[in-house]
Amino acid sequence: MATRLQFENSCEIGVFSKLTNAYCLVAIGGSENFYSTFESELSGIIPVIKTSIGGTRIIGRLCAGNKNGLLLPHTTTDQELQHLRNSLPDGVVVQRIDERLSALGNCIACNDHVALTHTDLDKETEEMIADVLGVEVFRQTIAGNILVGSYCAISNTGGLVHPHTSIEDLDELSTLLQVPLVAGTVNRGSEVIGAGLTVNDWTAFTGSDTTATELSVIESVFKLREAQPTAIVDEMRKSLIDSYV
Amino acid sequence: MVQYNFKKITVVPNGKDFVDIILSRTQRQTPTVVHKGYAISRIRQFYMRKVKYTQQNFYDKLSTIIDEFPRLDDIHPFYGDLLHVLYNKDHYKLALGQINTARNLISKVAKDYVKLLKYGDSLYRCKSLKVAALGRMCTVIKRIGPSLAYLEQIRQHMARLPSIDPNTRTILICGYPNVGKSSFINKITRADVDVQPYAFTTKSLFVGHTDYKYLRYQVIDTPGILDRPFEDRNIIEMCSITALAHLRAAVLFFLDISGSCGYSIAQQAALFHSIKSLFMNKPLMIVCNKTDLQPLEGISEEDKKLVAEMKDEAMKTVIGQGGEATDEAGVLLTMSTLTEDGVISVKNAACERLLNQRVELKMKSKKLNDCLNRFHVAMPKQRDQKERPACIPEAVLEARAKQAEADAEKQKRKLERDLENENGGAGVYSASLRKHYLLANEEWKEDIMPEILDGHNVYDFVDPDILQRLEELEREEGLRQEEEGDDDFEMDGAELTPEEQAALAEIRKKKSLLIQQHRVKKSTAESRPTVPRKFDKDKEFTSKRMGRQLSALGLDPTLAINRARSKSRGRKRERSVECGDDNGNDAMDVDEITPSKKQRRSRSLSMARSRSMSRPRSEFVPGEGFKDKPQKEQAIKLFKKSANKRNKDARRGESDRVIPTLKPKHLFSGKRSSGKTDRR
Repeated sequence: MATRLQFENSCEIGVFSKLTNAYCLVAIGGSENFYSTFESELSGIIPVIKTSIGGTRIIGRLCAGNKNGLLLPHTTTDQELQHLRNSLPDGVVVQRIDERLSALGNCIACNDHVALTHTDLDKETEEMIADVLGVEVFRQTIAGNILVGSYCAISNTGGLVHPHTSIEDLDELSTLLQVPLVAGTVNRGSEVIGAGLTVNDWTAFTGSDTTATELSVIESVFKLREAQPTAIVDEMRKSLIDSYV
Repeated sequence: MVQYNFKKITVVPNGKDFVDIILSRTQRQTPTVVHKGYAISRIRQFYMRKVKYTQQNFYDKLSTIIDEFPRLDDIHPFYGDLLHVLYNKDHYKLALGQINTARNLISKVAKDYVKLLKYGDSLYRCKSLKVAALGRMCTVIKRIGPSLAYLEQIRQHMARLPSIDPNTRTILICGYPNVGKSSFINKITRADVDVQPYAFTTKSLFVGHTDYKYLRYQVIDTPGILDRPFEDRNIIEMCSITALAHLRAAVLFFLDISGSCGYSIAQQAALFHSIKSLFMNKPLMIVCNKTDLQPLEGISEEDKKLVAEMKDEAMKTVIGQGGEATDEAGVLLTMSTLTEDGVISVKNAACERLLNQRVELKMKSKKLNDCLNRFHVAMPKQRDQKERPACIPEAVLEARAKQAEADAEKQKRKLERDLENENGGAGVYSASLRKHYLLANEEWKEDIMPEILDGHNVYDFVDPDILQRLEELEREEGLRQEEEGDDDFEMDGAELTPEEQAALAEIRKKKSLLIQQHRVKKSTAESRPTVPRKFDKDKEFTSKRMGRQLSALGLDPTLAINRARSKSRGRKRERSVECGDDNGNDAMDVDEITPSKKQRRSRSLSMARSRSMSRPRSEFVPGEGFKDKPQKEQAIKLFKKSANKRNKDARRGESDRVIPTLKPKHLFSGKRSSGKTDRR
């Protein structure tokens, strides 16, 4: 159930949206097309909320969250905070944090149980992440990149990481996260996974440049639509070899 | 990876146009006015420039032609051979060679004539030399006219060649004419190839694309091939041969087992054997078409033997690629493009065989090691006993169970997009952000909440737990009240002395009076502005009244009245600087010494001043870089003198070096007939 879409001619939809198991944040665009794509897939199940953060539209890169909570950077205005508090279900804790690295979405990658973070985050922020999001926190890099949030996308069922992640790193990360991981790309070879893909436990949204091969890798690793991650090594292996090598 | 795109070659003009283009360019882009009165060097220079410019243009144009046409030896051998078949390599090279020669000749002509122009001694001679030079250049171009025309034709033809990528996954369809090759490509791709019931309907290569297992395959339809010696084959057949020879593709050899194409199975088998050398190292499949007319089982024994022979040949390609000898599936296939029977299985078999072959090759390449990590699925090792379940809402699971209903509901649901379209479209419609608020009361949704109230940021005071805290406080209060209920303190007159009682009565009376007064005031206040008490509109808070009230209380009011008056009156005049002999420094004043700076400042702070005094410009202030006052005055004088001229010129400062347009063109040019001077 992966959907391909665009935000105002940009395929980096992870920048303009934040999808979790309990809510979905969407940037305010010039038209309702982007919002309605999310709405048609999600409304009735979880709230789909139009918002800005700090007056910008790059909300996916600025905030981090899961079904337990939502962390917002210090640039968030009072009005936006109130708007989000009003729109989100009561179970979701909304917290604005004073962290120097204000692009929290780039610095934090999390599912409902585990979070990977930028290595330079404050100690207080780390505690805040653990408390608000209810996760175990690990300071990690992905393929040498400290912006873990940009270079991976994880859900409770699987994860996609930067294409240059070595096999050892993959195994280590997988053990930390306790989900199957695959190195891959989105948007026709883009390695910024977090920017091209937003995913939760039952659905995914990718940039419209994403190829069929990439999409099938995404669907199998995140176990969307009955696909299993093992399919990548079994049925799809040949197609993958032919397209990558 | 090289991209082959012959569509971008620029148009080659014919000889006459070529000359026209260049000469008119020379005319437009070089100076045109020359007089015989000019210095001879200038005249020579004028004509040399024309000759050189013309040569340069010829050179550039011819160079683009030479560079843009592909060199047959450098491009992929498939395209090299295809272009050779279509246009004849020798002819093509000759044409390009002629262009190159013409380019060199023109350069030589220009060089010679520039040299001659150096000796030109009059305008007339120089001009003649120029005419001669340009004339000879044009003659050279006219002579290569046929080559240019040929190249233009080739360019037009090449632009229409299908974009075949020789390196991608390719499926090649070949066979006798009229066996159903084009029908097949029309079935599996969106290529719209013309299908007619006669031989050689397809006269060139056609390309379509199809998908299999997340990958895109290029399908090439070739013209039919006849079984005859290589030399006798025509251009149309040679296109097929070229494709077969050079493309690393899966080959589908089409066999019409019904014989309705006009060729028997024996003839087709003969063709197969004569071109089988072209199938080396390629996944090959024999496809028996038109089974709707004649099933494979129904053909005669000899034909069966022929088909079996071909199958054996095809099996060799399987074994050659390291496949199992017993793996017979996907070598001999039957289908009918008319009934679409087996079409998809043929496509799948071809794609699968090709994919297997390519993967096997790629497994051996070094590049594979770089992407090994991408074929690896890291499965987590258990690190603790904690369960980390996925969180999928019930609604989703239900919707999955009832897929059809969910889809129907999705159709019915009105999206924001629909609302937007109904309400004027993007840019006009503005959706309310509050529409989906989850609040305790639906009516609160559209409540207006101020951002700033009484100079305070409202959100600094928002507390999500305020109701809870209020409840807690109230509960605490209740508890305390209960406790205090026992020893209730009440103000009743019993324990008070008569004096105190009187005072209490007085206070209560006063209080009730005040309240009454206030109420009276308030009842009429709606229509008039409320004025703060300190402005005392009704002049009721006078010092007299204060005195009366204080005396009534038995206090001496003089001190208070004096103080109030001193406050309202303002400062006394005698404390000003001019009369300042009560400054407490009498002893020092005797010596006529001006008080120290500190003293002066302390005094000036305590004094009220009617208006501020600005320091005169020439006043000496230590720290400015001047020795004393006279020096500063001198400096100011000098500065003023130097700025004088600048100010007269209306310049902003030293750096303003603007030279305005002294004679604006529009005011000084053109004829001045009557009635037109005013706009200038």
